Amino acid sequence: MDFDALLLARLQFAFTVGFHIIFPSFTIGLASYLAVLEGLWLATGREHFKNLYLFWVKIFALSFGMGVVSGVVMSYQFGTNWSVFSAQAGSVIGPLLAYEVLTAFFLEASFLGVMLFGWKRVGPGLHFFSTCMVAIGTLMSAFWILAANSWMQTPAGFTFAPDGTMVATDFWEVVFNPSQPSRFAHMVLAAYLTTAMVVAGASAYTLLKGRALTEGRTALRMAILMMAIVAPLQVLVGHESGLVAHAHQPAKIAAMEGWWEDRQSQPSILFAWPDEAAETNHFELAAPDTSSFLFDTPPTETLRGLKSFPEEDRPPVAIVFWSFRVMVGIGLIMVALGLWGAFVWATGRLDGASLYFRALVLAGPSGFIAVLAGWIAAEVGRQPYVVYGVLRTADAVSPVAAGTVAASLLFFLIVYAVVFTAGALYILRLMAAGPESDEPAPRSKQPPGTPLGAALKEA
Amino acid sequence: MPPIIEGPPEAGEARPPLRTRLGWFIALWIAGAISVAAAAYTLRALIL
Repeated sequence: MDFDALLLARLQFAFTVGFHIIFPSFTIGLASYLAVLEGLWLATGREHFKNLYLFWVKIFALSFGMGVVSGVVMSYQFGTNWSVFSAQAGSVIGPLLAYEVLTAFFLEASFLGVMLFGWKRVGPGLHFFSTCMVAIGTLMSAFWILAANSWMQTPAGFTFAPDGTMVATDFWEVVFNPSQPSRFAHMVLAAYLTTAMVVAGASAYTLLKGRALTEGRTALRMAILMMAIVAPLQVLVGHESGLVAHAHQPAKIAAMEGWWEDRQSQPSILFAWPDEAAETNHFELAAPDTSSFLFDTPPTETLRGLKSFPEEDRPPVAIVFWSFRVMVGIGLIMVALGLWGAFVWATGRLDGASLYFRALVLAGPSGFIAVLAGWIAAEVGRQPYVVYGVLRTADAVSPVAAGTVAASLLFFLIVYAVVFTAGALYILRLMAAGPESDEPAPRSKQPPGTPLGAALKEA
Repeated sequence: MPPIIEGPPEAGEARPPLRTRLGWFIALWIAGAISVAAAAYTLRALIL
């Protein structure tokens, strides 16, 4: 492997975006959750909604701060490492990123000040308005970022100027390019699920420790409701996103599915070891002839395998194949956890379901892993193009020396390791402490709902 | 030391007049934007 400027620039972007995506995928859902909590507190006056708000808003502030810093750094790389891409596609993609910055600045960042420091100073109405603005801001930011990223996946509404650069011919076609609606929905649902998993895990942990029981039970029920509804919905939206990719990026789908040959009916491969050199899969475990059903294609339509694409037009297969399976596997675990939670809740056994609580604590970070795996599948699957079918990644890199990119990559590695490790550890410490509660301190370390816990509570 | 992130006013606690509340709202809104702008420009100065 040759560590030239191209590979180092790709590594740098992958590293910084990999860190960055963790934070917005959490704060998008958390901002909406905070708006719901504050709205419920205003509507009902129940203290545990306020206590939950004050607990999660601290975690939101930390995550938001780290998201801003990592996001700002990332956008500068368009100029430093990807200047040819910026020059070629800047007039199309630049406005989308500018709108994202505007919404992030004037809705998220600005109203965050009121949200954090203004509750006593501005009163409940203006404070709730600010929380809603932050929540709307996170969603609008996601909309514009997904518009830009989806345009790179399925470019539309542009032409080439005489100097060879891309210029927009229809702004709304650029924004609502073929993959934007399904990918935006997929990302927002992923963010909501990520937040639900974290809230469920943290609530289950405090319940297992016997702390803040009212707050923990309320938050856990809200998270289960979200999981039980959104996780199955996410499967459908993800499938829709796959259909769009199948129509516009057949090489990506062939890599995700591990298809090598052109066939009228492809298998659905559950497990395999793709061998790119031999152009085949080893140890394949597959359900044969199921692709027509999954991709809603007529049985006579040929589904393309990787061999029908020139080698230089194929994405790296193994990483796309496996990251896709990690995402889908975690998604199915979320569906199962949502249904399990709904079942024990419906049968009145939720408060004593210590096994379920332990499963939720284990699954707490699963949303982040699924989001990362999904993004790897989507972005590596777009290779070897930076703008699919239009501009190759190798042609988009800046004319910079490898040493320069290596130095900045090393700088990022060190700074991110220190700053984000400290931030993540502090967030974990906050989560472990749980929300402030008006309840008396626990008298038992037994999980609530267990026979011993119940007996001690009654004593 | 009072908490940095304050909760809502307690029941019965006197609320500042509307003019003061709106003043704080605008001041905090601008302070939020300036804080992030400062972070962005500092990072740009360090990187570019």
